Amino acid sequence: MRTSRPIRLLAAAAALATIAVTAACGGGGDSSGGGAAAGAGSCAPAPAGTKVDLTFTSWVPGMQKTVDLWNKNNPDIQVKYTEVVGGNQGTYQAYTNQIKAGTTGDLGMIEFDSLPSYRLQNGLANIGGCQPAKDGIVNYPDWTRSQISFGEPGAVYGIPQDVGPLALYYRKDLFDAAGLKAPATWDEFAADAAVVQGKGGYIANFMPDQPAWFTALAWQNGARWFTENNGTWKVDMADPKTLQVADFWQKLITAKQVNTVPGIGNVEWKALDSGQEWTLIGAPWTAKLLETNAPSTAGKWAVAPLPQWTAGGTAGGSWGGSATVVWATSKHPYEAAKFAAWAFGDPAALALNNQNGGQFPAHNGQTDLPALSKADPYFGGQVIWTDFAKANDQVDPSFAWGPTMTDTFDTLSNGFGQAVNGQGDLASVLKNAQARTIDTMKAQAIQVG
Amino acid sequence: MAQPTLTNAPPVAPAGSPPAPPRRRTRNWGAIAGFLAPFVVLFAAFYLVPIGYSIVESLRTVTRSGTFGPVREVWGGFTQYATVFSSAQFWASILRVLRFFVISVPLQLGLALVFALLLDSPVLKGKRFFRLAFFVPYAVPGVIAAIMWSFLYAPSLSPFSLLAQNVDLIGPGLVIFSIANIVNWVFTGYNMLIIYSALQAIAPELTEAARMDGAGQWRIAWSIKIPMVFPALILTGVFSIIGTLQLFNEPLVMRLVSSAVSTDYTPNMLVYATVNGGNYNLAAAFSVVLALVTCVLSFTFLKITQRRAEG
Repeated sequence: MRTSRPIRLLAAAAALATIAVTAACGGGGDSSGGGAAAGAGSCAPAPAGTKVDLTFTSWVPGMQKTVDLWNKNNPDIQVKYTEVVGGNQGTYQAYTNQIKAGTTGDLGMIEFDSLPSYRLQNGLANIGGCQPAKDGIVNYPDWTRSQISFGEPGAVYGIPQDVGPLALYYRKDLFDAAGLKAPATWDEFAADAAVVQGKGGYIANFMPDQPAWFTALAWQNGARWFTENNGTWKVDMADPKTLQVADFWQKLITAKQVNTVPGIGNVEWKALDSGQEWTLIGAPWTAKLLETNAPSTAGKWAVAPLPQWTAGGTAGGSWGGSATVVWATSKHPYEAAKFAAWAFGDPAALALNNQNGGQFPAHNGQTDLPALSKADPYFGGQVIWTDFAKANDQVDPSFAWGPTMTDTFDTLSNGFGQAVNGQGDLASVLKNAQARTIDTMKAQAIQVG
Repeated sequence: MAQPTLTNAPPVAPAGSPPAPPRRRTRNWGAIAGFLAPFVVLFAAFYLVPIGYSIVESLRTVTRSGTFGPVREVWGGFTQYATVFSSAQFWASILRVLRFFVISVPLQLGLALVFALLLDSPVLKGKRFFRLAFFVPYAVPGVIAAIMWSFLYAPSLSPFSLLAQNVDLIGPGLVIFSIANIVNWVFTGYNMLIIYSALQAIAPELTEAARMDGAGQWRIAWSIKIPMVFPALILTGVFSIIGTLQLFNEPLVMRLVSSAVSTDYTPNMLVYATVNGGNYNLAAAFSVVLALVTCVLSFTFLKITQRRAEG
């Protein structure tokens, strides 16, 4: 017994090492990247008569139905669809592993903020030379086109799927009863916050775990966190515009006029459903979540434009939004581009995506969809989609994401978590995130100026 | 807390049965190889290769020509290890789980021992029921347990709202205790069972002799049973050290309700976040160092406790 104990311990220690180690190396094989990106311009359709099979992954609920419609009408280009979990719930990691292994397939869904990181991994094909993409892309708003082109003229690294322009969901009944109207500026928002506090509520929730939400607010104020010029990046997360937004929320946090619980989860739904939070600064995709998770407040909500920094301003930011990319490993970029342009551009497909997946399409024709011109009783009969379409037109096209956003967002959410618990303030979190992001980029051999 | 599964000690090559003539020995080799092959193949594929791959990855670093040029992994020497050793995040997470260990494990093993002794004593009625009842939490998947407890802790969701609203169970001060409570809830019964089976193995003559000498239940527990199950306590202690350093599920789930749990709260969470960020080489280096730290701590614990057992 005694002699065997160290052996057993050794086995246990080795087991630990294996667990830790397997967690670290999901990838395998060729680490030189999944092949060079297909150059724009080299995109010919498969010879007539050949049958093309494509693969496509996304986490939009019910996307299979859209794919079924395509497969029915296109016997020569058959798409095999796989529904996966949300990007940050594991799919992004799977993509990264697949790129390492060279097994990405043809089409995949990626949120805008993660596009640069996959481009950096040489995962994306530039389908700017594929006729269907070239023809289709003109029908998307400028800001989404700059997201998928990274500012390169003529480049198309994905077809925009859906967008997340911010607007203000607010409890119209509570605001009316308090003699308030929806705040048009952030100054009014802050003034209202004090009134709401007097009534025992919070005007909003500052979501420490949703850094993309904060980013959208900085985006609205004209922040430019990442710029890339001739391969050299500039990181500017603590610029005056961003710090203005940070200071604004820091004051509300310090005065305990906003809730500071994790966002878009049970704790927040409860606060919204119980009337503790009076507004939700959200995106189109938030509507369905709100309706499902705060059912007892049905009919009491309305949507107003996002408050502005200057009276009469028309600036916006986007929280979320995604694109369908063609992977660099695809042998049929033309057909893949053709499918993507159809799936996120054709009215029949957009209607299905909206009906089954609740998607607010990026495509300019979104408000022509019958489903998106209907009054919603949850929002007191308001046609909220027209408001979101307007908000979408106001999203600033010059905001770009960095190549290591996962890490940057982690740093931000960890810092915000401490700040709302009274350890440090938002401004110092941003300064720290800036320094840390530069370190991370350098560690990945990215040139930072 | 992912408690490692109890793997049997690697089977040792069957000691040659009575010495056989050389002719037959050659045939034996084939049989030995045949029996060993499944183990060796799996051991190599899921044990040695991943460890080796991880060590290799940890010694490499990426370069690229231009920002969006092709990525290449090249020999990086100890670049990643330099980052690990200067990473305040990593060492903060190690210190945090060590603090967690102090908070969680003595109480957990203490309770496990008490429960095991109670089950073993003739005083308790309804032993089968209690044995199952104490063990049932271990049958609840760790993530489910963490979700359940997080709902009990969150002030706006908790049915015990008076407590949850007045004591910030998920704030930066207490959240570590709240997580420890989840872990203890799950693993106390598991450790109890290990100690209990060690108690069952004690020869009845020993306790009987003690009783005839006039020892009461307390005395028997203290002077006979506890010393006899000391090896089992050491075993559970080592598992607890390993499990604590691997703490992952519970704090990850707590992030859904608490803003005081960061993405680098434990070493494993940091490794996970680093992999998510695409930095495989650094994550591999973190893993290797974490494995070494775990080995060192486990062996130290073993050495200290063994010396005590012998002395």
